[in-house]
Amino acid sequence: MAWLVVRLAISVSLLNTASAVFEDQVGKFDWRQQFIGKVRFALFDTHSQASKKLLVATDKNVFASLNSRTGDLFWRHVDKTGPEGHIDALLMYGQDAVVVAGNGRLLRSWETTVGGLKWETVLDTGSFQAAALVGVEDLVKYVVVLKKSAISLHDLSSGSQIWEENLPDSDTVQYQTIYSGGNGLVFVFGVVPNSHIVIVEYKIEDGEIMNKKSVEAAWMSSLESSCTVISSGILLCVDQITQSLYTLLLQSAEQTEMRQIHLQTLDLEVASGFQPILTSTQPNPAQPPLSEFVLQLSPDHHILLQLKDDFIATLRDFYPSYLAAFATSGERTVAAVMSPKNDTACSINLFSADTGRRHLDTTVIYHMDPNGGKPNRLYVHAFLKKDDSVGYRVMVQTEDLTLTFLQQPGKVVWMREEALADVVTMEMVDLPFTGTQAELEGEFGKKAAIQDGLLPMVLKRLSSQFILLQAWLAHLWKLFYDARKPRSSVKNEVTIDTLSRDEFNLQKMMLMVTASGKLFGIDSKSGTILWKQYLENIQPNSVFKLIVQRTTAHFPHPPQCTLLIKSQDTGLGNLYVFNPIFGKKSQISVPALPRPVLQTLLLPVIDQDYAKVLLLIDDQYKVTAFPSTKNVLQQLQDTASSIFFYLVDSSQGKLSGFRLRKDLSTEVIWEVVIPTEVQKIVAVKGKRANEHVHSQGRVMGDRSVLYKYLNPNLLAVITESTDTHQERSFVGIFLIDGVTGRIVHEAVQRKARGPVHFVHSENWVVYVYWNSKFRRNEFSVLELFEGAELYNSTVFSSLDRPHPPQVLQQSYIFPASISTLEATLTEKGITSRHLIVGLPSGNILSLPKMFLDPRRPEVVSEHSREENLIPYAPEMPIREEWFINYNQTVSRVRGIHTAPSGLESTCLVVAYGLDIYQTRVFPSKQFDVLKDDYDYVLISSVLFGLFFATMISKRLAEVKLLNRAWR
Amino acid sequence: MHAALFALSWCFSDAEPGPVAGSQSNGDRFKIEGRAIVPGVKTQDWISTARILVEGEEYVGFLKTDGSFAVNDVPSGSYVVEIVSPSFRFDPVRVDITSKGKMRARLVNYIKTSEVIRQPYPLQIRSSGPHTYFMKRETWGWTDFLMNPMVMMMVLPLLIIVLLPKVVNTNDPEMRKEMEQSMNMLNPNPELPDVSEFMTKLFSKGSSKSSGGNKGSRSVAPKRR
Repeated sequence: MAWLVVRLAISVSLLNTASAVFEDQVGKFDWRQQFIGKVRFALFDTHSQASKKLLVATDKNVFASLNSRTGDLFWRHVDKTGPEGHIDALLMYGQDAVVVAGNGRLLRSWETTVGGLKWETVLDTGSFQAAALVGVEDLVKYVVVLKKSAISLHDLSSGSQIWEENLPDSDTVQYQTIYSGGNGLVFVFGVVPNSHIVIVEYKIEDGEIMNKKSVEAAWMSSLESSCTVISSGILLCVDQITQSLYTLLLQSAEQTEMRQIHLQTLDLEVASGFQPILTSTQPNPAQPPLSEFVLQLSPDHHILLQLKDDFIATLRDFYPSYLAAFATSGERTVAAVMSPKNDTACSINLFSADTGRRHLDTTVIYHMDPNGGKPNRLYVHAFLKKDDSVGYRVMVQTEDLTLTFLQQPGKVVWMREEALADVVTMEMVDLPFTGTQAELEGEFGKKAAIQDGLLPMVLKRLSSQFILLQAWLAHLWKLFYDARKPRSSVKNEVTIDTLSRDEFNLQKMMLMVTASGKLFGIDSKSGTILWKQYLENIQPNSVFKLIVQRTTAHFPHPPQCTLLIKSQDTGLGNLYVFNPIFGKKSQISVPALPRPVLQTLLLPVIDQDYAKVLLLIDDQYKVTAFPSTKNVLQQLQDTASSIFFYLVDSSQGKLSGFRLRKDLSTEVIWEVVIPTEVQKIVAVKGKRANEHVHSQGRVMGDRSVLYKYLNPNLLAVITESTDTHQERSFVGIFLIDGVTGRIVHEAVQRKARGPVHFVHSENWVVYVYWNSKFRRNEFSVLELFEGAELYNSTVFSSLDRPHPPQVLQQSYIFPASISTLEATLTEKGITSRHLIVGLPSGNILSLPKMFLDPRRPEVVSEHSREENLIPYAPEMPIREEWFINYNQTVSRVRGIHTAPSGLESTCLVVAYGLDIYQTRVFPSKQFDVLKDDYDYVLISSVLFGLFFATMISKRLAEVKLLNRAWR
Repeated sequence: MHAALFALSWCFSDAEPGPVAGSQSNGDRFKIEGRAIVPGVKTQDWISTARILVEGEEYVGFLKTDGSFAVNDVPSGSYVVEIVSPSFRFDPVRVDITSKGKMRARLVNYIKTSEVIRQPYPLQIRSSGPHTYFMKRETWGWTDFLMNPMVMMMVLPLLIIVLLPKVVNTNDPEMRKEMEQSMNMLNPNPELPDVSEFMTKLFSKGSSKSSGGNKGSRSVAPKRR
């Protein structure tokens, strides 16, 4: 018994070391990039000149502090997704930043240097309208929050509510904005559309209504962006239909009507169909805003105006201009204006706000990315230089969510690709061979042999060998050269031109498709973005599917990827074909897809250019082939009888199988209906096409073989009950053969609910669900076996399988929540499998599949010991050593992509979500390469030692023999 | 006093099922409060990377500069509250909230879910130290080498061979006689030729001319000279 325990301990400790990270491996082959998302609010810390802080709040519910010199994160706080974590407003005063989150539910004050919360207050429910800082006697003391029907004032240092008042007539009046000019009053502006404006004055001390008036404004529909307060309390509005500006003195009793100023009198005109935008600036919340403001008349026309003694004067007309923004440093306020320079560049200039005069030597040239989008936001950080002139830096945000930080005279300080915060799908593509390698490969082509004679081929062979030798020598020289330099200065700049496949195919091209419609090609080794391409006119909630049609293996044909973009509203799709290595759009003509696409199918059939054929099935079950050359159509006709596909209609709970006819029409061959009144289909997954299974069966303790049921057509269908009551809810799983529609297995987990995460691979399905009775997450594993004999060992056919498989199932408690689940994948499938689990804490767990084996025995027997089965334990262990990303946590993991490398032991893992993390895992340790800690010094010293010892002892022996002979 | 305590614990009893999160949206919302402590580390060094997660990412809270935290808007039910930090390890706590807003905290036990081991509420979560993400490399040391059983097996006989003759004085004639006697005792029949000796002689003669085995060459070499 004792030896058993020892053996167990050994096997467990072996597991222990598998796929763990050693401290010296940190950053060696892994990297992480952190993102924030689309910036909605950005504020520069102007508290002190030396401050590098840039506070941002984004649409991903992230509040972060960036280092404005490098673009790195100081800290980042990731709130809950969805409307409950939505950041409504960001205000900053001194060291504190006030954030309103969750539709005005929470008011938080952050200590920006540390990144900790100072205070947090829960506000009453009600939809958020506006928030502002309020100053009294030059000191900012309060923050005021306007809701749909109430207004509340809070102390800035403690967050405590000072008063809260209900707004009068809030059922008819839409209150939208607030204003305070530091004179002890807060103005609330509301509007009754196409009727009048309501202005309510509150006293700051106790919230008493000082004054309330309504002003006729029949032309007005909304206050936001068309109205602003300028100068010492003058409400200024603009209207497109009447082509006029309107002003109103807030604190005068006699003015009961807005004064109209026709834009015509200023020689201005609003572009038709454009909602004009007014921008004013209030540098200090305790003081009234400036009397200068910017009016945007059309997408490329801004104008700086000034209101003086009831007259509006044009200070400067900016035409053409894309963006304009105010910035203040000390007492000086400037306006930065971006105007187009030529097709590829914009220039940003600084103008003093009070005169409209251009500051000399303030031009910043912004080069637009030809593959990117247009700039749409400008954030300016102005500061006073030593000679008292105003210097500035700008952050430009573009449509494709690139943040570019520039300083004079147009130097790009840093750049962030925030589109990567929302990766939808990805693929990994092998890198191409270098030119010389490709040349060598090209020799073996059939064409080459026919064209050339024998002698030229020999010569070609010799010359290519010579080139290889040369390349090798150059490589050796570089190694030697680099070795002499200190390690930090050796930095291999990766560019597209130097890209080539490495010895073990560990370096790959990561293709990432983001929700904003921007595509990226990223080098998997370093994380460098090698190319990017912004696809314009992508609808906001499109679905993407990325398909690799031709890999890099078919030189000289370029690799080819196809992206299917499908709009969720119309269901219509279109194809974008590109080269995954260089990111260039392919010239191949793409079939038009006039009808919504329901399903895509990548066939193993290849055309004469080695591109795999993609079948697209539309809602009339018609099939479109891409590419659709004659050759392809011929091949499709020949193989049509063996092409099957399935469609899922979750709204009707219907799964249907189709078969391709010779004329490329389709026929229904099976249908499975899962009644939608009881349960709904939440997910359907087949197996991954590039998966290899090395062993057909498992050797049991008694030396017999248990054969796996390896059905490549098997679909795992997960359903959830429509009844969500915790006693009656359940999760169901169906294993359905995709060709015949036969339900191979069916299991139900009672008192369980989703979200269900699952992996379907080899002969097993692992799924995770929430056990609502015991309130815990549970893993369940299903394994399918054919039994002790294979029915047909040469080929698997779904149509000829008389015996149903044996199904084994076991469940385990998982002591954590799960964000996503994936299984490792290796070249030949020899290496044992691990499950890669993304946790909400940001850790990525590599869980040996060995723990999820339904044959784990409850009672240890001789056989189970022989098979190395771990005895059953209800709770799954989580060890910190299994976290493959150590402290490099990945926020909001959405997906994990695994890809095989050229080494059997190594699997590449990319986790994406808000962040991107890439690493390699070795599920069975690195059995095919020398380990990192391989002791070259010891081995070589022992070898040399032995060598010298033999030399010396040989000499000594000779001397001794000589002496003996003389004796 | 005892009775009151009993009543309190009874109303928490796990038999009554906690409401499902989705269906309780318009009920009362409560606040989970507590404090996280990392002994010996200043709060500003770790709070910016830490978060409070309630039941996965269902509810999220942040830490204040003094290490305290509050998670707002949590409906009644039973939740696992954990502090996640990339640098420090905290044990999760289960917090039960009744529909009236009574709170209690207990140890998380996923197997016996109804077991109650009380924890203080408001939560006091003390870090059990930094995470141990890394495996230790097997370092090579002289002691490891020497303590290796193979090495021990090799070194000890060597020591005996080298040292024993030194310890036992072989020049002493009495001693020698004694040893010879004991050797004879071991070898019961001295007249019988030793098999191994015979074999070596045979092979060394046979192979001495062609190539010379290891032993053969040595024994033959003097003859050649």
